[in-house]
Amino acid sequence: MAVPRSRILDLMKVQCRIFSHTFNPEGQRLGNKVLRQRLKGPALASYYPRKMGTYKDLQKAYPEWEVINEEEEHRREMLKIIKARGKGAPKKKRTAEESKKFKNKKRAAERAAGTAT
Amino acid sequence: MASSTPIRLPWRLLTRAVGAAHPLIPSTHYIRTQQPISFQRPAISRNYSEATPPPEVENATPPSQPPQTLTENTPVSEGPPGPPRLPRAVQAVYLRPLRRQAEYGVPSCDLQLRSYSVRNLEFFCDFALRAAYYLGLPASGPVPLPRITERWTVPRASFVYKKSQENFERRTVRRLIQIKDGNPETVELWLAFLQKHAYYGIGMKANVFEFAKVGVGKNMDTEMEKMKDIVGKTWDRVGVATTVGTKLTAEEIIERVNTQNFRAATHGNAPLSKLPGSISR
Amino acid sequence: MSMFRAKKLDLGSFVNVKVIRDHTKRKVFAENEPERQALRYIIRNLALPQRTRVQAQLQLAQMHCYTRPTQIRNRCIEGGKGRGVLRDFKMTRYNFRLNALAGKLPGVKKASW
Repeated sequence: MAVPRSRILDLMKVQCRIFSHTFNPEGQRLGNKVLRQRLKGPALASYYPRKMGTYKDLQKAYPEWEVINEEEEHRREMLKIIKARGKGAPKKKRTAEESKKFKNKKRAAERAAGTAT
Repeated sequence: MASSTPIRLPWRLLTRAVGAAHPLIPSTHYIRTQQPISFQRPAISRNYSEATPPPEVENATPPSQPPQTLTENTPVSEGPPGPPRLPRAVQAVYLRPLRRQAEYGVPSCDLQLRSYSVRNLEFFCDFALRAAYYLGLPASGPVPLPRITERWTVPRASFVYKKSQENFERRTVRRLIQIKDGNPETVELWLAFLQKHAYYGIGMKANVFEFAKVGVGKNMDTEMEKMKDIVGKTWDRVGVATTVGTKLTAEEIIERVNTQNFRAATHGNAPLSKLPGSISR
Repeated sequence: MSMFRAKKLDLGSFVNVKVIRDHTKRKVFAENEPERQALRYIIRNLALPQRTRVQAQLQLAQMHCYTRPTQIRNRCIEGGKGRGVLRDFKMTRYNFRLNALAGKLPGVKKASW
């Protein structure tokens, strides 16, 4: 009634041959799961989009053609509006001394407060 | 249904099978539904000169009525000869797509179509079914698979304020068209045809089942060697539109693409600027 | 890092020091992945002699950190941030929201159910 083990092993061998499996009846750890893993290098490497042509490159390549960059135009218009209101970026300080104006005011205020109390 | 006032029926009602064969479509083709899609259509007539209508038309139905909803009462061969009828295939376009009956019901191809919007998906399913009919493939109709909804809850602000968030979702609608008892070559043709005339916004995924005798594995390698010539020819023509008259090879295309201006503009990263096999930094 | 960094920048997204570093790590990993997998296999194969397995362990540990997949981090392509990045869109939550409301993400709309 009981089937001999050798017969079962032969059956397993045939199965593995047909279905291209690995034959490992004792279940030894041979590291085959690492070999089965898919390589994910190319998928990870293509995460960031590569450099493509921009409006600037188009203008350089074909200077006689008029290329309208809508986002850039929109940005420039907004800047004009803000500057007209007087809310544009402040002027760049030329020397270090000009940028220290605020510090002196602060120190003077502290001294005044200190001498008063 | 009365032809004088065509009513827009909901999609569900239109799928029910109705009555006898349609007079305009020969009875050799089995039709599951004869209910015509009833919507207003302009008159299907061919007036070769717009100035003077041909004398036969005066005896026919006056142009004020919307004439041509195709019903059982439409006169086929009686009365004065009206404008010539359209070809059957064109008439079929105005009706629901015909289906072929599968003899054995063995699935040959599962085509899953996915889209974010329903309308163009339904249209493309219709197109695919008609193509399958004309290729002689028994197709079982667009089965709506469960809709996939992906949801993201995201804080509204760029910094802090976690308590006020906003929900976004993306709904993917799916349809399944299954072809039963299809010849593998015909199925490939059908799939290639659909790919060639792919509609925007629709993704397609097909599982094709083929039956082969025992011992296929041995023959596969020898067949691959034979196929290399044929496959090589098509591979050389990758990216070339077949409608274009020139016979450019892959190298010639790459030469053209890599002219100085173009290369400078795209920093050497334009699509198809390198052969598929070479991956570089 | 300097030995791996490409001479010419080939990034089309937002460019940041960290984004450049991450991009370099990804490329280096893709190149050395087969070698790493081979060493991992040797280490895990109990049928091989212990000496080879230990040698493989040492070799794997001595490989440059840029070859390790654990060093790679998904960054936002619009802002270069490393936190709060959604995988489906490669963007931070706020950038995703801005683009979704602008209609630039296909199929994404405000949910209400």
